[in-house]
Amino acid sequence: MKEDLVFNLDHGYAEGLCRGFRSGILKSTDYHNLVQCETLEDLRLHLQSTDYGNFLSNESNPLTVNVIDDRLREKIVQEFQHLRNISYEPLSTFLDYITYGYMIDNIVLLITGTLHQRAIGDLLPRCHPLGSFEQLGAITVADTPAQLYTAVLVDTPLAPYFIDCISEHDLDELNVEIIRSTLYKAYLEDFYNFCKNLGGVTAEVMCEILAFEADRRAFMITINSFDTGLTQDDRAKLYPTCGHLHPDGLQELRRTDNYEGVRDVASRYPQYKVLFDGSGTNTGDKTIEDRFFEHEVKLNMNAFLRQFHFGIFYAYLKLKEQENRNIIWIAECISQKHRARIDNYIPIF
Amino acid sequence: MSTSSIFRSEQMTLCQLFLQPDAAYSSIAELGELSIVQFRDLNPNVNSFQRKFVNELRRCEEMERKIRFLESEIKKEEIPIVDTNENPDAPKPRELVDLEAMIDKLDYDLKQINTNSDALRKNFNELTELKFNLAMTQGFFQQVDPNGNGMFNDMTEEITDETQRMTSGGMKLGFVSGVISRERMNSFERMLWRVCRGNVFLKSAEIPQLIEDPTTGEKAHKIVFVVFFQGEQLKTRIQKICEGFRANIYPCPENGNERRELTMGLMTRLEDLNVVINQTEDHRQRILIETSRLIRLWKIKLIKIKSIYFTMNMFNNDIARKCFIAECWIPTSYLEQVQLALRKGSEISGNVQVSTILHQITTNEKPPTYHKLNKFTQGFQNLVDAYGVASYREINPMSFVLITFPFLFAVMFGDAGHGLIVTLFALWMVLKEDYLKDKGKNQEVWRIFFGGRYIILLMGIFSIYTGLIYNDVFSKSMNLFGSSWKVKFDDNILLKDGAVTLEPNPRPYSAAEHYVQMYSGNPYPIGLDPVWQISENKITFTNSAKMKFAIIIGIMQMSFGVFLSLGNHLYFKHYYAIFLEFIPQIIFLLSIFGYLIILIFYKWTTYLAEQATDAPSLLIHLINMMLMSYPTDDSKTPKSIVVFYNHQRIIQTILLIVAVICIPWLLIGKPIYIIVQRKKKTNSTELVHQESEASNDIEMHEQNEPHQEVDMSEVWVEQGIHTIEYFLGCISHTASYLRLWALSLAHAQLSEVLWTMVLRIGLSMGGIGLGGVALFMVFTTWSTLTVFILLLMEGLSAFLHALRLHWVEFQSKFYKGEGYPFVPFSFQSILEEAAAEN
Repeated sequence: MKEDLVFNLDHGYAEGLCRGFRSGILKSTDYHNLVQCETLEDLRLHLQSTDYGNFLSNESNPLTVNVIDDRLREKIVQEFQHLRNISYEPLSTFLDYITYGYMIDNIVLLITGTLHQRAIGDLLPRCHPLGSFEQLGAITVADTPAQLYTAVLVDTPLAPYFIDCISEHDLDELNVEIIRSTLYKAYLEDFYNFCKNLGGVTAEVMCEILAFEADRRAFMITINSFDTGLTQDDRAKLYPTCGHLHPDGLQELRRTDNYEGVRDVASRYPQYKVLFDGSGTNTGDKTIEDRFFEHEVKLNMNAFLRQFHFGIFYAYLKLKEQENRNIIWIAECISQKHRARIDNYIPIF
Repeated sequence: MSTSSIFRSEQMTLCQLFLQPDAAYSSIAELGELSIVQFRDLNPNVNSFQRKFVNELRRCEEMERKIRFLESEIKKEEIPIVDTNENPDAPKPRELVDLEAMIDKLDYDLKQINTNSDALRKNFNELTELKFNLAMTQGFFQQVDPNGNGMFNDMTEEITDETQRMTSGGMKLGFVSGVISRERMNSFERMLWRVCRGNVFLKSAEIPQLIEDPTTGEKAHKIVFVVFFQGEQLKTRIQKICEGFRANIYPCPENGNERRELTMGLMTRLEDLNVVINQTEDHRQRILIETSRLIRLWKIKLIKIKSIYFTMNMFNNDIARKCFIAECWIPTSYLEQVQLALRKGSEISGNVQVSTILHQITTNEKPPTYHKLNKFTQGFQNLVDAYGVASYREINPMSFVLITFPFLFAVMFGDAGHGLIVTLFALWMVLKEDYLKDKGKNQEVWRIFFGGRYIILLMGIFSIYTGLIYNDVFSKSMNLFGSSWKVKFDDNILLKDGAVTLEPNPRPYSAAEHYVQMYSGNPYPIGLDPVWQISENKITFTNSAKMKFAIIIGIMQMSFGVFLSLGNHLYFKHYYAIFLEFIPQIIFLLSIFGYLIILIFYKWTTYLAEQATDAPSLLIHLINMMLMSYPTDDSKTPKSIVVFYNHQRIIQTILLIVAVICIPWLLIGKPIYIIVQRKKKTNSTELVHQESEASNDIEMHEQNEPHQEVDMSEVWVEQGIHTIEYFLGCISHTASYLRLWALSLAHAQLSEVLWTMVLRIGLSMGGIGLGGVALFMVFTTWSTLTVFILLLMEGLSAFLHALRLHWVEFQSKFYKGEGYPFVPFSFQSILEEAAAEN
């Protein structure tokens, strides 16, 4: 109660702003209109009548999906950074935590890119601006995880997460994926604890979302690791332990070695059983990833039903990202004249 | 009945236009200039990108984008955009192509120039960085070179030693030099140290001026650095780090002579580049100046074209008849002008054979509300519209508000001094109107004041008037015509105690033989006698007077409102409502409150000074009338509460009974009428059908209403609410008008407090020097407080109360305000909007 009373002192403006941003998220009628577009020009014309306004109007013809993607990302980054700039503690730390995830992605992107002999100059623009940090460009210096740690990451907030992966092995693709997963595990657990310590509604909302995120990662790691030579024990080390699956479900996931096994594990958890039941691998069916996305959207939308908490900032970012994915999906379908699956976007409202 | 009047909105006609495709464009352009036609969207279900002229719109948008680009380039160069106040016509469709080509070419040229000059500039910036790099590293190496001079510091010594050792050992000490932006320097240094495990030596110096970054073109602080290291492996690492930190690496010859040569070569190249850059800049400048002359006209033309196509997107395309069909609302009195414009449009397009057909159609739809206004009435209409736009053709209270609003404001704001300041301020705005019109467009508060300048002017003038009536000028009274009272007591009475009473009745005082006439017998010519200013019971007196004024004004305004509803009933031919609504309402209001006013005037005119104690107490009498209890007339009861005219009792009882009868009359009258009407209708539907065919559109509208068969219970509930609202409203609204007195009292008292508590301190200081300075300072405070508290705050409060009295107490008697405004298709307003956006 006391926190609710004083919440608006520091975070009221930011929350109001965020809720305002939220009302700009496209509605199902907007999507309905978007999928009817014949060309990207139509898409631009329609987006003009939404909250996006003139964000594409200074682009010269012909419009490409990449340009739309860049502008969409620019817009969301701008909004997030504005929120970050006006925020007070502990909201600013909370928002920083959100960016760590992007940092991990950027690091992995750069390392994989360098492994494939791509020039760093081409790779850097593809990094997510939210996860950018000063030393990011110099990441190519490192050949081993240990070097990566001592040279690049030691000054970043990711340093404590990296402790577990310091080794002298050369960086290769499997290694990178393991680093990503280990980092993510440590990051998620840390973020989870941070939210838990914040307490109040923030803890309730965020722990729910992060627990799902952790479980999703556990499922996906298991499914993707089937024929990759990753041992069960190695795999188990990558499971984030802040989800609902911990500890029993994770133990069982460790032992499974096919998709059916994963499905069995999931069937013991009602919320995941529904997701797995509704998915399939045949064409036309929704993939389990899509189902996870849908569930995530639902959780994020629920965050807006509560007041006086930080969850909405996280939820807004995630919803907006989903929206961007939707727009890009529709734009891709339009530009490639492949309209059969254009309806496979994930509606938000 | 004349179609246009100040009391009602314009009569509107719904018209269908049959436009020839060739003539449509120019016709719409003419209508856009005329600004009197409101088009209706005939394709509300069609997406914006599926409409007919979407390609034209897209071309316009593309051009607008290019124009925006040109404009931003012009602004970057700080070239003023020429504004000739010219208003070009919308260009013909074929001219659009020329315009497009022209803009395209400019856009292309400018982009070419920009890429060229960007490349040049990048080159130039790189060379500049190299120049600084050479110049600064020169310093580092020079420190190293003069061996054994003992002038250099420890670090260089170390390096020198190392150099010597290494060179002697056959190993080469390599170095990388470059330029990095200042904010990255720290972490760059740290990372170098970490990655190379301390086996490097970094020397750096800041470039003393801001230089442009070659990649971004922005000015930034930069640092020149040299990293000394040994071994190839370290070199690749260092290069990677440099790349990662976006440091630009420049070659730097080891040999001093080579460096000098490079520098010399660099200088000449820089010079050459400078010449080329200047030439491109000149060319660019010329193009931009040329563009800046035309860009405003282009923008206007484009906006016009765009709005025309946007409008044409709302039309129906009749393929069979090969024409566009548009529907629009036109004020009936403008039909001819519209016809003319359409003909002119056809002529311009060169299509004379088949002109545009304008066809008036009847409809049940509610037309939009359009008032013909000028800059004077606009402000007042805004006050009314803020409550609700008038229903079509109902009485528009604006023309009455025009006078009553400033008047009620002034009753509350009554002070001639404050009024004068307000008047002067408003007068300044009105007289300097043309000059001020374009000033401070972004200052919202100023726009509010300026928009209401005529309202403020009238409020000021009226305040001077009421100030004279109250005889209040900055809380002081003026003795303009000489008071009607003379103090003629002799000295021993005046010296005896603090207060004396001036008697209006001529009679002897203090046992003197003859009385002294203190009252001249004629009242002060206008307003309050200034003698009240020094009397102790001034407030008691003014309160009584102002309260009565407030009630009189209120009842008069409310009854006037009820009479206006009679005007509406007559106009809309709701004759039943006259008997079932208007008559009970007005009877109720007049039989209680109208009677009270009569009593007030009776009391004022009948009772002379000598009978003052016997004058009836109207409050008690009103209460007694309501309770029907009349005190017996004996010697014990005070004269003021017993009946004071013949048959008072019977008259009051009758009035009360009549008033009470009005309540059920209003409550059940209309619902019963509706029930009877419906019965009749079901008996003779055919008759009604014929009637409705014969009647004109407004009547048809009325006739058609019962077809929608509102549920009877709803009618009852609505009428019940209406009845309660009206009767309780009469009482509460009358009381509400007392705010006229309350605010006036507050204003007078506040300004008096300000005078006695602030200005008097200054006035009572002695001495010319000290007193003068003190008065000067106190006056500053006083005048500031007067402006901010009395003029702005009190003015705002009086304004809001006056507004409330009009919206709630006055307009609720007759005004529905359920209409929607007429928004004509107008180039002017579209251009203004576009200008406001920028």
